[in-house]
Amino acid sequence: MSDVRADRDLVATVRELFRERCPHEVVTQAEADGAAPEKLWAEVVGMGLHLVGIPEEAGGSGGTILDALAILHAAGEQAAPLPLAETMLAAMILADAGAQIPEGALAVVPPTAELRVEGDQVSGAAARVPWARGAELLVGVVDGKAFTAPVEVTREGVDMAGMPCDDVRIDGTVVGDTAADLGLLGALARSAQLAGALEAASDLTRQYVGERVQFGQPVGRFQAVQQHVVTLAQMAAMASLSVDRAALATLRGPAPFEIKATKQVIDKNATVAARAAHQAHGAIGMTQEYRLQQLTRRLYAWRGEYGDEKQLALELGTKIAAHGKLHEVIVAGSEIIK
Amino acid sequence: MRLEATELTDDERALQQEVRSWLRKRLPVGSYPLGLGMSGEIDPEFSRDLGAQGWLGMALPTEYGGHGRTAVERLIVVEELLAVGAPVGFHWVGDRQSGPSIAKHGTEEQKRDLLPRIARGEVSFAIGMSEPDSGSDLASLRTRAVREGDGWRVNGTKIWTSGAYESTHILALFRTSEDKHTGLTQFIVPRETEGMSINKIPFIDGTRHFCEISFEDMYLPDSLRMGEVGGGWGQNTAELVLERGGVDRWMSVMPILENWATSRSVEGDAAAAADLGAIAARSWAFRGMSLSVARMVDEGKSPVTEAALIKEMATRFEQECTDIVARHYGRTPDLHSDDPHESLLARAILVSPSWSIRGGTNEILRTVISKGLNKR
Ligand SMILES: Cc1cc2nc3c(=O)[nH]c(=O)nc-3n(C[C@H](O)[C@H](O)[C@H](O)COP(=O)(O)OP(=O)(O)OC[C@H]3O[C@@H](n4cnc5c(N)ncnc54)[C@H](O)[C@@H]3O)c2cc1C
Repeated sequence: MSDVRADRDLVATVRELFRERCPHEVVTQAEADGAAPEKLWAEVVGMGLHLVGIPEEAGGSGGTILDALAILHAAGEQAAPLPLAETMLAAMILADAGAQIPEGALAVVPPTAELRVEGDQVSGAAARVPWARGAELLVGVVDGKAFTAPVEVTREGVDMAGMPCDDVRIDGTVVGDTAADLGLLGALARSAQLAGALEAASDLTRQYVGERVQFGQPVGRFQAVQQHVVTLAQMAAMASLSVDRAALATLRGPAPFEIKATKQVIDKNATVAARAAHQAHGAIGMTQEYRLQQLTRRLYAWRGEYGDEKQLALELGTKIAAHGKLHEVIVAGSEIIK
Repeated sequence: MRLEATELTDDERALQQEVRSWLRKRLPVGSYPLGLGMSGEIDPEFSRDLGAQGWLGMALPTEYGGHGRTAVERLIVVEELLAVGAPVGFHWVGDRQSGPSIAKHGTEEQKRDLLPRIARGEVSFAIGMSEPDSGSDLASLRTRAVREGDGWRVNGTKIWTSGAYESTHILALFRTSEDKHTGLTQFIVPRETEGMSINKIPFIDGTRHFCEISFEDMYLPDSLRMGEVGGGWGQNTAELVLERGGVDRWMSVMPILENWATSRSVEGDAAAAADLGAIAARSWAFRGMSLSVARMVDEGKSPVTEAALIKEMATRFEQECTDIVARHYGRTPDLHSDDPHESLLARAILVSPSWSIRGGTNEILRTVISKGLNKR
């Protein structure tokens, strides 16, 4: 049995890169600046990481969706303050529509935005667009058409993690047809980032409770504290595995069930894990000087994007109730539930 | 801890379809008493039929009547059985853990005698580990086997032995010396052995599979010893991977969920539909974890920590599923209802606390997981 995997060398390189370049201070500075660290972003672009998962013929860096998600997972582990997922998603849409991929960062118009299409003109507005300011271009999908629009910020905002998240006016142009489902791609990308942040919160907590001494011993020796560590390991293991499985499913065909299930599960895991991580850390975890909040604030930010726990559960549940065979769906997923 | 994603091969999917269609014919809806996962009904005839299909003792070596198949293939068969609440009670323990354990540690004679019968569904095993004063602290157990001539003289009491009364064999752990962990030895005790008496202990839902076993000067020839003298603890620990990481840890209520999913209580009720969706998503995730662990076993690994990690959360998930369906039921389900799904739900409510106790309590599992994580 040889299941397809992400390129191990690539994953190792990328994890090393983010580990070195995204220490606590860099993430804090990015938040203060309301912008990605320029040098790091240039390095990521130089390596072509933002275009992994897109065939070279289409202007990408090659590799599979598994590679792309592994990069996002690694970025999530280090809370990398970069518009990486956004640029990847936008580029995937453009590539699928046969359009040119511009250089530089891109932002994605959320699929929930209300837009008007007249001929090849797309207009409207979108609220809370991650990393809009600083992007070269906005990219979105409406009625099976990919469009681009110049960035016109009407209100600057930030997400829970302090990263740019702006309201924009949209005055764009259709650049081609696309079958890509932005909602699903976005859910998968966010799931990978969330899983990365969950793994990191889990590791950080395990390390901390092994060092913090109270009552003459590391607090990690207390069973009540071990319970938090175990919960975190469970939430993280389930999250990372689910992302990998959903990605494998997309290689076979459209995988709405697997992707929605993954995001639904991970959104809940994020909530449970953030509680456990903070509880095990005590007061220090609540401070900006300590790293945990850089991870948990991203968990809070990302769990609500591209479908949240409740919406996704409702969508899945309604379809299953109509189909009527729960076990079959659990086993065969998108092969029977579209 | 990273688990590797894995998918079923074409052959594995074919097996899945084969099992599914066979079950549809062998167990038509309404023709058998619905069970809650591994505590399904005891039906020796069904077990023998399953054995005839080659779906028991699947991973046992072929020279002993097994089928030399994989842990993943076994998972596929088990999953289909549990999905329909099949009567798996007679063969469950032997197929899941005693068989593989005997294959690994048993003597040539024990293997030739027992493995073919396990694969044919002719024998039923119970696990005699817990004692009145030794539950979580199993290594403190006191039922003693003392050397006597070519054999052993056994005295003491086992308790909570599931299915012992109906079983044909009990795989028991006895104390053979004072050393806490290295003083334990496993024995295969035939049901009819003189000096052993079994009493049923009524369970919370009125069923009677829980047993107490007393040994009074029971004599066992040494040929019934399994594995090394003093090796029982290690052998026992290895068995736990087989016992803990499987789909049986999150599928107990699948027939209840299946019925609820199509009931009118979900249709048009957004709260219920959202609960159903969340349950489906999580079941999908758990299935991935069980599959991943089964592949690891097939690769020759021993994912003890992973299996414990899954069981600890999966059993809580089963309990949550029970609570959710109960909450949407609209009234208290009647244990004695003529509607088999209603009485099954009532039974699930009653017995669900046991899911996070049997096979090692969740508290103990957390310690196992925590230690395992820190070793990495
Ligand atoms: C349905 C069912 C089927 C079973 N089938 C079998 C069987 O076939 N064969 C068999 O041998 N046994 C069987 N058992 C017994 C089962 O293995 C034990 O119940 C289990 O190991 C716990 O032991 P105990 O019940 O004595 O609880 P205790 O060990 O007395 O525990 C009581 C409480 O204290 C907690 N506790 C104990 N020690 C610690 C610790 N160190 N740290 C934290 N918390 C702790 C426990 O988690 C629990 O909450 C079965 C049990 C059930 C419920």
